[in-house]
Amino acid sequence: MSALAVSDLKRSFGGIKAVAGVSFDVGVKEIVGIIGPNGSGKSTLFNLLSGTIPPSSGTIRLLDKDVTHQPAYRIARQGLGRTFQIPTPFINMTVRENLLAAAVEGEWRSARSRAEEVLAALEISHIADDLASTLSGGQQRLLEFGRVQMRDPQIILLDEVTAGVNPRLRQIILGRVRDLQERGKTFLVIEHDMELVRTICERIIVMDAGEIVFEGTFEEVARNERVVDAYLGRPET
Amino acid sequence: MRAGGANSARLTARSVIPLVVVVVFLATLPLWVDDYWVRVWTGVAMWAGLAASWNIIGGYAGYISFGHVAFFGIGAYATAILMQPGLDWNFFLTLPVGAVVAGVFAFIVGWPTLRLRGAYFAIATWALAEALAQLVNTVDFTGGSFGLSTPGNAETGFFYYAMLIASALIYLIIFAVFERSRFGYKVKAVRDNEAAAQSLGINTTSVKLQAFVMSAALPAVLGGINAYWITFINPQSVLAGDITDQMVVMALVGGLGHLWGPAIGATVLYLSSTWLNAHFGSSTGYIAMIGALLALIVLFLPDGLVGLMPRARNMRLVRQMLRLPDRRADPGPDPDTSRERS
Ligand SMILES: Nc1ncnc2c1ncn2[C@@H]1O[C@H](COP(=O)(O)OP(=O)(O)OP(=O)(O)O)[C@@H](O)[C@H]1O
Ligand SMILES: [Mg+2]
Repeated sequence: MSALAVSDLKRSFGGIKAVAGVSFDVGVKEIVGIIGPNGSGKSTLFNLLSGTIPPSSGTIRLLDKDVTHQPAYRIARQGLGRTFQIPTPFINMTVRENLLAAAVEGEWRSARSRAEEVLAALEISHIADDLASTLSGGQQRLLEFGRVQMRDPQIILLDEVTAGVNPRLRQIILGRVRDLQERGKTFLVIEHDMELVRTICERIIVMDAGEIVFEGTFEEVARNERVVDAYLGRPET
Repeated sequence: MRAGGANSARLTARSVIPLVVVVVFLATLPLWVDDYWVRVWTGVAMWAGLAASWNIIGGYAGYISFGHVAFFGIGAYATAILMQPGLDWNFFLTLPVGAVVAGVFAFIVGWPTLRLRGAYFAIATWALAEALAQLVNTVDFTGGSFGLSTPGNAETGFFYYAMLIASALIYLIIFAVFERSRFGYKVKAVRDNEAAAQSLGINTTSVKLQAFVMSAALPAVLGGINAYWITFINPQSVLAGDITDQMVVMALVGGLGHLWGPAIGATVLYLSSTWLNAHFGSSTGYIAMIGALLALIVLFLPDGLVGLMPRARNMRLVRQMLRLPDRRADPGPDPDTSRERS
């Protein structure tokens, strides 16, 4: 069984082909990295996978079920969780309430104790009663990551979840990802930080201009000329 | 800023004492004030309940209804029609009928519009109220523009307690549902970020629809009590647009999306309009006061009068609603920094 099977997925905005025919598979318990230059369609791909925006064409299978064109909340209920590149905190709620709100469609009775665990694990217990609107960008990303965990999804999409997060908290996030993987979770991770990609991703998908230009291990990616041209060769932005 | 404390037991005691004072004051009122003041406070209770019901969709769900008077009017007409000679329904039995009819209308209007942006919903609700007023004006069984009278009941005390109990129940329902339950979290999550709510498995359209139906059914009950109280209703008295305006303004002045906001707004505004009317005999002063208050609120006290209380939650609803730029710094994405900002 594959966790995710994507076939010839396309989406354009006006004239821009943001995702231009993408196909790949992700196995259960895999951690797959997605890299590519700015505007290469990584976040759009996540939006398609999670049902946040509908694809122009192509199919998406989640845990062997066709979920193409299903609304985002159904896809979420079938086991997909995601974070957004631009954090989406519930700004009129506290940090703790944000976590509780993430559990409303799941196991509610244990939600409070699980929220405390997540707060502790992400080391944000001290700001649990602060309004989410008062958090720094890095803290909002942590909260975004915390919310996903409240739902216990099988497949987790992380969109630059460590950007703007200090090195120590980044280690905490990495530890959490590994923990969850051991418990059977599958990850798809968009990252600009190559060191991080190298340490956690077993396989890497390289995108450029809406297409997958290469797939392989970090070493293979680093050796590949097309990738270096498209991405690694350019100065980091 | 903190929005809830570790020392919650002490806090509860501190907030329960004023509540007990208010409850005792309201429950014994007819025993020690004259009829005039009983009527004034009946009005306060009614407006508190109406503004609180509006706050469900406007404050908790974040969709502005500009036609809420429709539901108040539906309740009023349901009671008046069912109590007409020949039908002779028991007054209390008419109230749930009005609530159900209002809920059905809300469902019909909300179904297509609540999946769109707020402007469509605002226009649709406004159109509903207008259409309903026209309809009531023309058909027979509503008495057309002449209106309907309800069987008299001279007892001010009865209406005072009926209104008070209905409003208190509305408050209790709102408290239980929006401040305490899983459904409340869903509604607020949808309001604060719809895409995020969906990504967490929340069926946002359905949640908004449920909230709107609730927000519509409750004022219908107050409309029914009001119809019986004022003994005569017509489209000008129970379907007038300024009834909606009052609900909106009271919720805004008191505190949009806050539990106690509408009650505070209704008390302050209804009492001042009564006072202005008694002393100056016209509503011009009241309208000027409302204008000034609203401007002050939007600029300086976005959480309404509730914002003056210590430890009040600092929300951004008014600014979100008006799409004003936020004066507080927006963290936003900072992908280029590897260090946390603070
Ligand atoms: N909602 C939208 N409307 C119009 N164009 C869009 C929209 N979303 C994305 N695009 C365009 O699609 C292309 C791909 O954008 P996307 O955000 O998926 O890139 P990305 O790989 O995530 O980039 P980054 O590394 O900067 O996050 C870009 O040209 C972008 O401008
Ligand atoms: Mg992106």
